[in-house]
Amino acid sequence: MKINKLKNFAKNIRKNIIFTAFKAGSKSAHIGGALSAADIIAVLYSGIMKIKKTKILDENRDRFILSKGHACLALYSALVEKKFLKKKDLETFESDGSNLLGHPIINKLSGIEFSTGSLGMGLALGVGVALAAKKKQKNYKTYVVLGDGECNEGSIWESVLSASHFKLDNMTIIVDRNNFQQTGKNSSIMDLKNLKNKFKSFGCETVEIDGHDIKKIYKSLINKNLNKPKVIVANTIKGKGIKLFENDNNWHHSIITKSIYKNILKEL
Amino acid sequence: MDYQWKKLYRLSFLIFKKVKNKNKYIEIFIKSLSIDKKKFTEKLKYNDIPEWDSIGHMTLMSTLEDGFNISIDTDDIIDFSSFKKGIQILKKYKIT
Amino acid sequence: MNIENNIKLWSNLGMRATFGLIAMELAKKYPDLMITTSDVSTSAGLDRYKNKYPDKFIDVGIAEQNLIGVSAGLSSEGFKVISTTFSPFQTLRCCEQIKVHLGYMKHKICMVGLASGLVLGNLGFTHCSIEDIGSLRSIPNISIVVPSDPFELFKALNAAIEHKNSVYIRLTAGANSKIINAKNYEFKIGKAVEILPGKDVVIIGCGNILGNCLEAASILREKKIQCSVVNMHTIKPIDKEIITDIAKENKLIVTVEEHNVIGGLGSSVAEILSGERNNCKLVRVGINDFYSSGGSYEYLKDIYGLSVEKIIQTVLSNF
Repeated sequence: MKINKLKNFAKNIRKNIIFTAFKAGSKSAHIGGALSAADIIAVLYSGIMKIKKTKILDENRDRFILSKGHACLALYSALVEKKFLKKKDLETFESDGSNLLGHPIINKLSGIEFSTGSLGMGLALGVGVALAAKKKQKNYKTYVVLGDGECNEGSIWESVLSASHFKLDNMTIIVDRNNFQQTGKNSSIMDLKNLKNKFKSFGCETVEIDGHDIKKIYKSLINKNLNKPKVIVANTIKGKGIKLFENDNNWHHSIITKSIYKNILKEL
Repeated sequence: MDYQWKKLYRLSFLIFKKVKNKNKYIEIFIKSLSIDKKKFTEKLKYNDIPEWDSIGHMTLMSTLEDGFNISIDTDDIIDFSSFKKGIQILKKYKIT
Repeated sequence: MNIENNIKLWSNLGMRATFGLIAMELAKKYPDLMITTSDVSTSAGLDRYKNKYPDKFIDVGIAEQNLIGVSAGLSSEGFKVISTTFSPFQTLRCCEQIKVHLGYMKHKICMVGLASGLVLGNLGFTHCSIEDIGSLRSIPNISIVVPSDPFELFKALNAAIEHKNSVYIRLTAGANSKIINAKNYEFKIGKAVEILPGKDVVIIGCGNILGNCLEAASILREKKIQCSVVNMHTIKPIDKEIITDIAKENKLIVTVEEHNVIGGLGSSVAEILSGERNNCKLVRVGINDFYSSGGSYEYLKDIYGLSVEKIIQTVLSNF
């Protein structure tokens, strides 16, 4: 594993996120939550997942589900870096008739496994996909990224219970714990308290890491788990990578003007 | 004398009918539960064999009703817990 | 499998137990079949299936939102999925998942809603389902079928498994349900069946309540009203052709369903009629948008105008 390769990939994801959000103009974009997930998604796509452009529908490919669908800019950016999408596709973001909207639309030929965006639903899909692997005795892995606010949804816990019950050790859940949800901090809207303990008590092999430490992300993803699904609670910073955006919830869903774009380009 | 013959005739007819019905009862058991003749014994009880589960039971009841042209009470359907118990229950319907 | 021998047995067993028997046949035919449920095996007659085909059976526990998501995930990986639980939970509890996974992403699942309508009225309206058709109708890409008897359920399930869309199959009545189709016939999703020919008045019904419709029609014949009866087993896509033909040739249509008169069969027929010029009156019989006190199936059918006598009265007072 070459750390620099992964770090570079993450940097390019951030560049693409900012570029796309800027191009979206007044249509605005979910920026903060995409930036907080960027390192996780970078490590998955450049260092972990077995996926190939030439074998995009391969039955044995690893599957990625962005359950926190509003972080789609990070996903689209990763797909551009893997050449599943073209950079100019990003300019169609949120445009009329586009396939690249503010939440992912299923398009397996572009590497988008499912339409997500209604929070709390992606994990159940992951359970179904991982179960299918067990039934068919296939070795592919399933990765699901959740938001922390998303863990308010009861349906997430239905899925976690079942993932543990079905011993889905071929599934990894990564929680992008950036401590914010749409209108404020998790702790004031609906406090999640000790999220790691919750997943652990539901029967998952759980670790808590710095969600921006590429090395730690990589190590936690390659660690073996047996008979239990793996959960990585990744502590992150909403808006990470652009100082102006970091920990400022106004950048949950906002517009990047020309002047802001000029300023932040320097950081990248 | 005539009366004695009639009585004897009636008795043998009844015996013949009861034997015939018992054989039919056994046949219905085997057919409706879809079991091998060899698997059948008069000691069979509900849930003893996988074929005599709740669905098998309803199938058995339905086939008995059709086969003997009777309508079995709900209480009797519930009490019908074994082949032997069934014989007792079917007495009520004048089958055995 | 000799179909006609089974018609009486299936009617005695009722739709739920028949579903269990049909599942056993489907498992033999489709190696990639997967039945999913929310802690409902016995109630769906699936115990036998569960024991014989444990790896074709997945129970996610009492978690219907997870049920649909997991089923969709399995379907996306090539399994032929049938999900089942009690009707209200199969449709309303996970309605958004149905919209997103089945409607929007078009993952194909056959959903079987158990004990729909009023049959579990003695358990209260949490366990009755009078809103299911209405809720699902407004989600694109989902067909809705209401079999009239267990024999029709057999046909509907076999058709649904091969159908291009997801299908919601709504089971009504209990054990000893009425036989509506005594002989073999052609079943096609989207094609209504005239089960009793007549003139001037047509009763269009769906589900086992058609038994009451047929009985009412027979009594109306004695009163010299040649009421015909149509089995509209598919609510979506509705058979527009037969409705417009009926409207041209008749004076009165009475729709009969164990569902709210808002959103179900009656509403679907009204939608078609309103687009045509015709002189045909439509009267919708069903649940008149209120939850009554609970009670037996017969008690509730009477309250909601679904008994034989009340159907007759409705025809007479509108003819």
